[in-house]
Amino acid sequence: MKALDLERVIARIDDLPTLPRTVLRITELVNDPKSSARDLARIITDDQVLAARLLKLVNSSFYGFPQRISTITGAIVLLGFDAIRNLLLTTSVFDLFSNRKKISVIRQEQFWDHSLGCAVAAKVIGNHLRYDRVEELFVAGLLHDIGKIVEMIFLPEIFKDINRMVKDKNILMITAEETVMGYGHPEVGKLLAERWKMPPKLITVISHHHQPSAAGRFAFEAAIVHLADILCRALNIGYAGDNKMPALDRTAWDNLRIRTDAIEPLLTTIHKEFDDISLFISYTP
Amino acid sequence: MIQLKIDALKPGMVLAQSVYNQQDLLLLERGTALTKKRIWMLKTWGVDRVSVKGQSQKDAASVSEVEFETRHSIERELRARFADVIAEPVMQAIMQAAGRHLQKRLTDPDTPDEST
Repeated sequence: MKALDLERVIARIDDLPTLPRTVLRITELVNDPKSSARDLARIITDDQVLAARLLKLVNSSFYGFPQRISTITGAIVLLGFDAIRNLLLTTSVFDLFSNRKKISVIRQEQFWDHSLGCAVAAKVIGNHLRYDRVEELFVAGLLHDIGKIVEMIFLPEIFKDINRMVKDKNILMITAEETVMGYGHPEVGKLLAERWKMPPKLITVISHHHQPSAAGRFAFEAAIVHLADILCRALNIGYAGDNKMPALDRTAWDNLRIRTDAIEPLLTTIHKEFDDISLFISYTP
Repeated sequence: MIQLKIDALKPGMVLAQSVYNQQDLLLLERGTALTKKRIWMLKTWGVDRVSVKGQSQKDAASVSEVEFETRHSIERELRARFADVIAEPVMQAIMQAAGRHLQKRLTDPDTPDEST
């Protein structure tokens, strides 16, 4: 099979749906130091779906606030601007890709579970390491495999070949991608992330989640998502497209300084938090 | 095999037949072990009864046979999944930790864990 030109993929990505305008406006607002919680609240309140979703999320056991939060302003004050932007970005990204008839319901649901599982795992690992921006890790975990969705939707024939090879040879999807296309989902995901002007940290984590120690100044974050992916696969949460474990980037693992006896408690926490949150932001066919 | 109403399902039971919705879309495959989440999903999808392995409701719920099967399949699946990376000691530690955690969860899926 001949290697595909990455250019061809870029050309197709031009047809990709854009982010909802509300999310773009929120991103601008978050980057503007002069904006206030009230400005942000006004934009969110204009979008009924986003507003409802946000309130449902802040009141979920995932955040564990003792009292009920009933206003958007209250949610913003409690969570902070960045967290809100990330939450809305995340749910919007998955809306864009959901409900594609060609892909079976169960397949989409399992892929969503894998992404959500990685998001939760990245957050749990971040907490364990006392990383102060776990919200970013959550989003990075959720979006790390976005390249696979792009392939699924925009390169359906090639994606079919990749899947056949994964099934026949029982190999990792990235191995099959390299053979069929000459590059993998991290590169494809990077293209989308750049086009959508995602923050540099997020772009780097998406493009390096299989080789985190090469991620330069974001090597630590990439290592966390790398490990999150491995732990989710060990727990069999969702389905990422294959039944194999990715190779561990040993340098990245060593840099995280996680003791091996911390692994089981981490797995337990991840599984529990995943069960809690998946009831709130589950995939709806 | 026994047909049970959704409310009688318990985590750990194993589907004896695939579950489809009204439009004949495959929702869950035969052989799938039920979890709290999957039972909840079946509810939200409007499924009202499914077939699970076992001779009676009590038998299916006490899951001695099913549980044995599931315990074995946890081990088997983990080994298959980790086969290519098991030479790496950290991956071996992860596999063992996952095995212990999943077995524990199978025994008592409803009890919140104290170590969290």
